[in-house]
Amino acid sequence: MKENRIRILYIDDEIHNLNAFRATFRRSYEIYTASSALDAKLLLKSIDVHIIIADQKMPVTTGVDFFYEIREQLPDPIRILLTGYTDVEDIIEAINKGHIFSYVKKPWDEHELANTISNAYEMYQARKQLKEKITELEKTNDELNRFIYSTSHDLRSPLMSVLGIINLTRLDNSVTDPNGYVDMIESCILKLDGFIQKIIEYYRNSRLDVEHEKIYFDSLLHECIAAFKPQNTAIEFQLNIDQPVDFKGDTFRISVILNNLISNAVKYQKPDESNPKVNLSVKVEPHKATIWIEDNGIGILSEHLSNIFKMFFRSKNNNKPGSGIGLYIVKEALSKIGGTINVESKYGEGTQFEISIPNRNDFDS
Amino acid sequence: MISIPDLRIILVDDNEIDLLLHERLITLQQISRTIISFNNANKALEFLSSNITLHRIPPTIILLDIQMPEMDGFEFLEAFDSYPLKIKSQCHIIMVSSSLDHGDINRTNANPLVVKLLRKPLLAKDLRETVLEIFKDF
Repeated sequence: MKENRIRILYIDDEIHNLNAFRATFRRSYEIYTASSALDAKLLLKSIDVHIIIADQKMPVTTGVDFFYEIREQLPDPIRILLTGYTDVEDIIEAINKGHIFSYVKKPWDEHELANTISNAYEMYQARKQLKEKITELEKTNDELNRFIYSTSHDLRSPLMSVLGIINLTRLDNSVTDPNGYVDMIESCILKLDGFIQKIIEYYRNSRLDVEHEKIYFDSLLHECIAAFKPQNTAIEFQLNIDQPVDFKGDTFRISVILNNLISNAVKYQKPDESNPKVNLSVKVEPHKATIWIEDNGIGILSEHLSNIFKMFFRSKNNNKPGSGIGLYIVKEALSKIGGTINVESKYGEGTQFEISIPNRNDFDS
Repeated sequence: MISIPDLRIILVDDNEIDLLLHERLITLQQISRTIISFNNANKALEFLSSNITLHRIPPTIILLDIQMPEMDGFEFLEAFDSYPLKIKSQCHIIMVSSSLDHGDINRTNANPLVVKLLRKPLLAKDLRETVLEIFKDF
């Protein structure tokens, strides 16, 4: 029970005020008193109090100055100032300088003061809980950080060993594999690794600060094409870039967005299409860039269109199920950089994504 | 086939399978006939410091993993940096890792002791090219 009592330190140079305070409140609170700022500081070295009440008008150190002096060592106790005058200047100074919760006019009224104390204690508790929550969140975030780090290593490392073994069987021709089982193992491993990489991508998008750098869409898109071309060499890529002004944006997120969308355009082609195409167009304006990614692939069922940006949603009407996370990452990355996305698709004919990203180029905005 | 007659390769990796893989790869590609493997960075450092008594240190390539228990790749580099020039000048360090962590990648690229960072799985072509690049002036 004693631990739960509110501990109050009351500082006043007039001894009879201290006594009156003690007499009034000793049944409700655990009360400590000091007749000067110096005494108060000594006392605070040994006792943690929840609330400090100080008289403003004291010789040597005023209440406000006292609060100001202790604000760094003791940020936690809630401060209440007692003042004889309703001097606005004093009160403003007090609140700004000493981080004071409230002031009470002298002579104090028992109910008013009790009310103020009760509110102050609530504030104390709320701040304490907030602090605990922050510590807890920091710990969780830190654990997530380490989790991602070990995911990227502990899960990938054995996968990379398997790929290494597969490469070796091809180099030394030591495995006869007429049914192509090794290739199947490889494609499963690559798929799993792709999924791990997506998780890391998602995590980095949600955690990393947005940074603005100059972006040249021509070279960025050429890099993307070079990366995806080998997956389906039959695809004809058409690039149409109109960048008359500089563009500044977050390189990491924009690459993530483009890579995911181009990857889908390449992946979801019709198997019997004789002329598979992916058209990429960019139009940079002083205030934004608009990018169109268009394919003549399998398209998306109209009833699925509203769900494609949801986490782990997979369209079932194709024989290449994805991880269900790519478009979700696109959406998340766009919301981080203030962009938007629109999709139009006809099942069996193709899909077009239109994204719009704000231009962070200072000179033009 | 790489013709640096007394070239030796030191492998430092806590993963025994990767050690074996890299050994096989180097042998098959005839990059070097001398391969010394360590599954612990400390032991590799001990071996290198014992080399100081050799009359001449042979040209050496170190394939160094990043994440290892006890002493990781970066701690190895830090300790190795204080080694005498007689040893250091003969050793060329290639980091080999499956890490996608940007912190790891940036730290590796910033380290003057590291010639290059190669991704796992280590590809014969990448290794051959990096070794040729190191000894292009020989």
